[in-house]
Amino acid sequence: MGTNVNVGLFCAAIAFLAATPAHAHPHVWAAVRSEIVFGPDHRITGIRQAWTFDEFYTAMAVQGLDTNGDGVFSKTELEPLAKVNVDSLKDFDYFTFVHFGDDEDHNLPLKPPVDYWLTYDKGVLTLHFTLPLETPVDPAKREVQMDVYDPSFFVAFGFAKDDPVKLAGTPGKGCSATVKLPDPGSEEDAKALSEAFFSQLGPNSNFGSQFAQTAIIKCVTN
Amino acid sequence: MRHELGAITRAVIGLALAGGLMLVVGACCAEAETPAPPSAFGPPPTAPSAAPSPFTASPQAPSAFAPQAAPLQAPGLFGAFFSWVVDTQQTMQRELANGVKRLKTENAFAAAAGLAALSFLYGVVHAVGPGHGKTIISSYVVANEQTVRRGVIISFIAAALQAMTAVALVGVLAIALNASGMAIKSWTLQLESVSYALIALVGLWLLTTQLVRIWRRRQDAAADPVVALPHAEQDDYHDHHHDHDHHAHDHDHHPGGDSHHHHHHAEGEVCHHVVDAQSVSGPMSWRKIAAVVFSVGVRPCSGAILVLVFALTQGLFWAGVAATFAMAFGTALTVAALATAALCSRELALKLGRGGGAWANAVWMTCALGGSALILLFGATLFAASLGPARPF
Repeated sequence: MGTNVNVGLFCAAIAFLAATPAHAHPHVWAAVRSEIVFGPDHRITGIRQAWTFDEFYTAMAVQGLDTNGDGVFSKTELEPLAKVNVDSLKDFDYFTFVHFGDDEDHNLPLKPPVDYWLTYDKGVLTLHFTLPLETPVDPAKREVQMDVYDPSFFVAFGFAKDDPVKLAGTPGKGCSATVKLPDPGSEEDAKALSEAFFSQLGPNSNFGSQFAQTAIIKCVTN
Repeated sequence: MRHELGAITRAVIGLALAGGLMLVVGACCAEAETPAPPSAFGPPPTAPSAAPSPFTASPQAPSAFAPQAAPLQAPGLFGAFFSWVVDTQQTMQRELANGVKRLKTENAFAAAAGLAALSFLYGVVHAVGPGHGKTIISSYVVANEQTVRRGVIISFIAAALQAMTAVALVGVLAIALNASGMAIKSWTLQLESVSYALIALVGLWLLTTQLVRIWRRRQDAAADPVVALPHAEQDDYHDHHHDHDHHAHDHDHHPGGDSHHHHHHAEGEVCHHVVDAQSVSGPMSWRKIAAVVFSVGVRPCSGAILVLVFALTQGLFWAGVAATFAMAFGTALTVAALATAALCSRELALKLGRGGGAWANAVWMTCALGGSALILLFGATLFAASLGPARPF
């Protein structure tokens, strides 16, 4: 009987490993730097993103793109890749989710990027693009938040350690941006477990949202 | 049993040797190719005095990896576990990149050995992620196979095939055709779709075969319950030889009817799962194994492609190939362990019945149908998902 229990425990442990969700498994890492762009009326008009990828992804992405063979990946040589990236980002909402702090379920609509380009430096690629908000919003009235994450968790986005979020343009007085990381101590086990299980199966998995890092933009008026 | 262990050992040693040989040959080739080679037997002139261990991140590691980002973390207990998995993966990928670079600056053999060990460990962890056939192979083994040996062999062949697909894909596209990374990605995605479609078809095939077998047996049981029923209740599935004696005995007792036909199916009934498994262990089973292995293996290992292309950009394709096979060895071990665990779960379920024939039958039927249905479900779902919009990265 003792043996049976041991075997059972062993099986349970392995089964747990086997049930580790498919997508707890990013293939690409990206360090995020964002600029919150303010218009002259101190309202947020858009988001400027700069995502720096890891070395492996970079090697893969730039393979064959040094068309003139000078050993340098110029902006022009990287242009086709930038276009493919940005075009297909549309189907994934640019992995950028802007919403009011008190209404996390409704993302503010974004327009396609107005500019985009890739830079290659010291073996890593950085993708730059600017996403205008369809309607500018005033963070002085309602706190604005921006999450950057890949719901399917193929890409692991994390805010850069230095200067993750900056304010650009003409922000109002008392405006600031801070980064909030998910709290490992909070009790969301049941939710996490069910999501973890179902995320293996569906194309609409939302596993990555657990890891979502949030930029909080608020303005203190006094 | 000794025979089985021997086969496992041979398969394991074979793959390990292949990887090791590749590294040694590769290290020698690199020596020959490099114009001003650092001696393989002495420290290279520019190397730091103390070679950093490949297992610890060294401050002087020649890496300009992505800028440091905030640690990925998620809420809850599971969140902590997943964060750990993700973190380990990233650290290992970073170390792999450094490992490839070290080949250029340090003692080639030491660096190659370090890279092989790292790749192996990465493979073990990486296989926990999707696309290495752990669900498919475990399900197949539970549904069809009796022995651990088969499960292990299937896992190793599938991993080796995935590695070869990756090497062939990168070799042909990147080296022969100088195709872009975008082209390699698109090929990878298409092969993934093909693999998922094949997995779904294999699942459908397995399920149909099982259903037909069960249906036939039911019919026989209905037609001649005297033969089937008493034996289904016998506590004899532990001893095959005993069954066969009984069977011969039965034959004498039921001489009527088209004895040969009934004889065959009655045997299946008497021996429960044992004969079920044995009956698929023939040439038919190898055809099934080939189908399963091919459907899984046609999809290149995603981690391997990254390492291969990275190694290529460093001018060290051979190191990527060696790392790929070391990695395949690691993924094969994980997949084999999961398949074995799946088998042991089934054995445990059988034991819980305390030898009841009806219970054993039910467990077997559940495994056979459930396993096959799971393969079909997974293949179909993944195939549908793979038809979605192309990923940007």
